[in-house]
Amino acid sequence: MFKIVIDRSLCSGFGACAELAPEIFDVDDGGLVSLRAGTSEDPTVLDAAAACPMAAISVVEVQAA
Amino acid sequence: MSAGTVAIVGAGLAGARAAETFRAEGFDGRVVLIGEEPVAPYERPALSKEFLAGTRDESSLLLRKPSFWEDRGIELVLGERVIELDAVGRVARTARGHEIRFDDLVLATGARPRRLPLALPEGVHELRTLADARALRDELVPGARLVVIGGGFVGAEVASTASALGVDVTIVEAAPAPVARLLGDRVGRLLAARWRSRGVRVLLRTGLAHLRADASGRVVSLLLTDGTELRADVVVVAVGVEPAQELMPERPARHVHPAGDITGSGHWTAAALDGARAARRILGLADPDPQPAYVWSDQFGLRLQLVGTPRPDDECDLAGDDESFAAHYLDETGGLRAVLLANRPAEVAAARLRLGESMRALAA
Repeated sequence: MFKIVIDRSLCSGFGACAELAPEIFDVDDGGLVSLRAGTSEDPTVLDAAAACPMAAISVVEVQAA
Repeated sequence: MSAGTVAIVGAGLAGARAAETFRAEGFDGRVVLIGEEPVAPYERPALSKEFLAGTRDESSLLLRKPSFWEDRGIELVLGERVIELDAVGRVARTARGHEIRFDDLVLATGARPRRLPLALPEGVHELRTLADARALRDELVPGARLVVIGGGFVGAEVASTASALGVDVTIVEAAPAPVARLLGDRVGRLLAARWRSRGVRVLLRTGLAHLRADASGRVVSLLLTDGTELRADVVVVAVGVEPAQELMPERPARHVHPAGDITGSGHWTAAALDGARAARRILGLADPDPQPAYVWSDQFGLRLQLVGTPRPDDECDLAGDDESFAAHYLDETGGLRAVLLANRPAEVAAARLRLGESMRALAA
């Protein structure tokens, strides 16, 4: 399972994350990204983090309890 | 390469992203990140905005918490300037006499403000580093008279922040419209009108001829090339940047990899992606997918977001007004080259997709 954290102070609204993983990332009305879900089983979240030009997304793989 | 030492000269965005990428891709040799400023990698774009406004402090500007670098075994060598790079012997020497041997080196020394060929009295600032921003912030007190030389993004952001702080602001721009070289005349005129409506004086087609100082060496006024004299307590020179290429080898060197603003690109995403790309190349990994250039600016109540790189002679299809507009830049064949959005954040993703598609079509 992947735990996702975004740093909104770094977000500049590029939106690549929401394109790659729309079920996790959402661009809000202010143009910044918010999380629809804090965790995911889908490794696509790693691609979304890598695509962020601001490196505002961190993803940590955690062992399921 | 899986072991050995990688050195990264320049601890700005490109350098930081290179260092992170080495670890994210599993490199377990030494990673040494060398920065001239005595501070860990930070968010430079905030210097002209929230930091100058006093709404964010220094620690909040750090790109990563200090433990981030420590946890990943990334050695930060800060407050040290590399003055000599031996690309064949593979050693970098700092001004303090430290020698750092490397197997590969990412050269990410960035850019520096273009300087005016004038002696600068006290009270005249440039804005690139945290130290610059700190010095300027201390002088932006309500009622002070600020003159900004240069109507680009940095100049406009400083003007916007200062104006909100109660500073009396004048922008001096040599071209017939500000930011015209980047965004074209029509958008330039629209932005100039916006700045004026927000109480800023905008003087166009004129430049700085001479700075006058008092007996203590502090600036008191500026003489412009059109003969105007402007009284000033504070001056900011924001006439663009130039790549810091002193250490660039004369010929391409196999183990020295330039990345970021040193290559002359100057865009935020370009620097970020370039740092990651340099690290991946050293590790023998494929380049990441190309992304359209992206840069943004917050000024006078507008969030400007530019996707792609327009050329000044592109046809500019402009819709909206100075509260919210979209400008589409078209090349000679009518193909979309760039999109500028003002207070239209919801349209950025679509613009990025369209431009990304045409980039991939060109690359294929």
